Amino acid sequence: MRAYPYRRLPGVVSLRVTAVELRGPDDIRDPLDTSAFSAVEQVVAPGVSERDDWEWLRMTVEATVPGRATAPDSPWTDLAVVVVLSEGATNTRITTALAPGAEGGRQWVGHLDLWRADHRDRASMSVHVVATVDGVAGREIAASTKDWIVDLKSEAPLRDRELDVVEVGFREGPQWLRGFHEVPWVVDTSGDLPVVHINTDFEGVSDLVGGNGTSVDNMVRDLLIAQLCTDVWTAVFHTAIGDLEIEDDGTPLFPRDWRGEVLREMLPDVVPDRPVEDALGEVHRRRTGTSGWTDLQPRIHYAATRRADVPKALSTTIRGLDSIHRGADA
Amino acid sequence: MTDKPNFLPERLALLADLNAAQYLTDGLLSGKEDVPAIALNKTTEPLPHDGESRAELDPVRALVEDAMYQFRDDRPTAADGWLAPRLHAALRLTRREAADRRFWNYLALGVAPDYVVWRHLAAKSEDAPPKVAARRFRGPAYTQAFARLWWAAELFRDGPDYRPVVTMCANQDMLNTALRVDVMDHRPTALATVRLMERGTVRTGREVNALVAAINASAATLMYDVVAPDAARDGKPLREWIEAAESAPAVPRRDLPVGPYEEKAPEQSVDVLVDHFAEIFAGAPVRGRPDADEGTGGEV
Repeated sequence: MRAYPYRRLPGVVSLRVTAVELRGPDDIRDPLDTSAFSAVEQVVAPGVSERDDWEWLRMTVEATVPGRATAPDSPWTDLAVVVVLSEGATNTRITTALAPGAEGGRQWVGHLDLWRADHRDRASMSVHVVATVDGVAGREIAASTKDWIVDLKSEAPLRDRELDVVEVGFREGPQWLRGFHEVPWVVDTSGDLPVVHINTDFEGVSDLVGGNGTSVDNMVRDLLIAQLCTDVWTAVFHTAIGDLEIEDDGTPLFPRDWRGEVLREMLPDVVPDRPVEDALGEVHRRRTGTSGWTDLQPRIHYAATRRADVPKALSTTIRGLDSIHRGADA
Repeated sequence: MTDKPNFLPERLALLADLNAAQYLTDGLLSGKEDVPAIALNKTTEPLPHDGESRAELDPVRALVEDAMYQFRDDRPTAADGWLAPRLHAALRLTRREAADRRFWNYLALGVAPDYVVWRHLAAKSEDAPPKVAARRFRGPAYTQAFARLWWAAELFRDGPDYRPVVTMCANQDMLNTALRVDVMDHRPTALATVRLMERGTVRTGREVNALVAAINASAATLMYDVVAPDAARDGKPLREWIEAAESAPAVPRRDLPVGPYEEKAPEQSVDVLVDHFAEIFAGAPVRGRPDADEGTGGEV
């Protein structure tokens, strides 16, 4: 909990996207179907439209602010409600001020325009309540806690990312994959997003991973996918932790792309009961220090296994096998 | 010394991190070896804008050679302020394109490894042999040799005017810290910081670091976007500027180039922040300043 030297607004501030419209050079105006944005996931995915000729998009947004903000006896004046959209990877930050709507100052409405050329992957969007407090203008007195995401890469408005899976024959494939021609898959964490390369030269593996067969096939498939996901989580964690930028005083910084997301997600399981910033410092110290970080490996493995749903997949498989055996015995 | 690549194709390209890794040898990083250019160009991918003039390799190579020639008797750091705006104007990228690390990997390893070595070869201590940090070739945007210059130009230009970029690059601490803090993504904030450098309010590296730290700390409770609003973002001038690349002459070497005709940051917004920043800087602890009071900092 941080301390502020002025009165803040208690209560929940929330943001909703109510409409999205794609705009293009030839006066294209394409209002997106509601399937392109999800209020539950809090994600906007313009990719749902399957059109590639848009240049910018306009979101209609609505914020709900606790009624106390505008109460006559409140300590805040010059109230403003501002939506901020930013993407670290492109250093882009745009803001728009909302206007008071109906419902006695609790609802605020407005538009936010996003230019496609300014964004690469995922932009996040939050709402901030700003006011003059004790004579100081521009104080942030409240903010939304859960960001909205505008996802330019996905074709569905989902918060969790789907893995990028490429099926390729390793024997004849890109140079660096050829040495791995005996294994069923390889995880590549070097790019914008982690990619899983499935080796089509490994007979049957792509049918098994992508297929929908008998119940035994499906059990094996789910177990295999859980294994694959464990590999991915382990690989992305090591990549992220191994490529940190360090401040002059030795404090590691969270990367601003998916590597940062991965660390924030996994660190609570690797170093439990500590704020993520402390956890990052701790892991970095252990990894680069003299005592080594072998004792952390089981925790990293635990964090990866949990995210990959291994326990669930395995217990389902074991139960499934049991019932098959019983059927065979009967 | 690492030399100009012995093979240069006609077009710029993309080089994935994974493929770049194999060329970051000790020999290259200590400036003793060249990059195997032909092998490297077999592992690249074409640019999404491969068919456009701005994908030509020659103009970029020529620009970098001019930078090395012009500052041959100077400290290589002095070349940053010259090259940043010109590189930005020669490449004409969108932010979306510039966020692709593969592009910068290729510039550093495929187009001008000799520049990276010339500019960034440094000894960590007196008895250690000089080395280039690998992240100057392949790394985050705020350290990679070319990405840092491009982003400095992008975030610190005032619409078509690159002059603030030159001021900003004149101080290495500014160039190194400013790109790492999100607060500089707000244009009036970036320009107000430069204004304080021009005025001489902040001069030394330590002062710059203290100022940026104070601005960053103050942003935790004050929303600069509200007290100093920027003009609404409009992508059309940038698109036109990129389209004009087809007929644009080479980037001027003597005068500053002209950037996209975006609306400039509102003068009043910059003024408000100049006053505010000057005030918090006056109360900020600066390492080595006699009156530095490390305990209290400034009220934010």
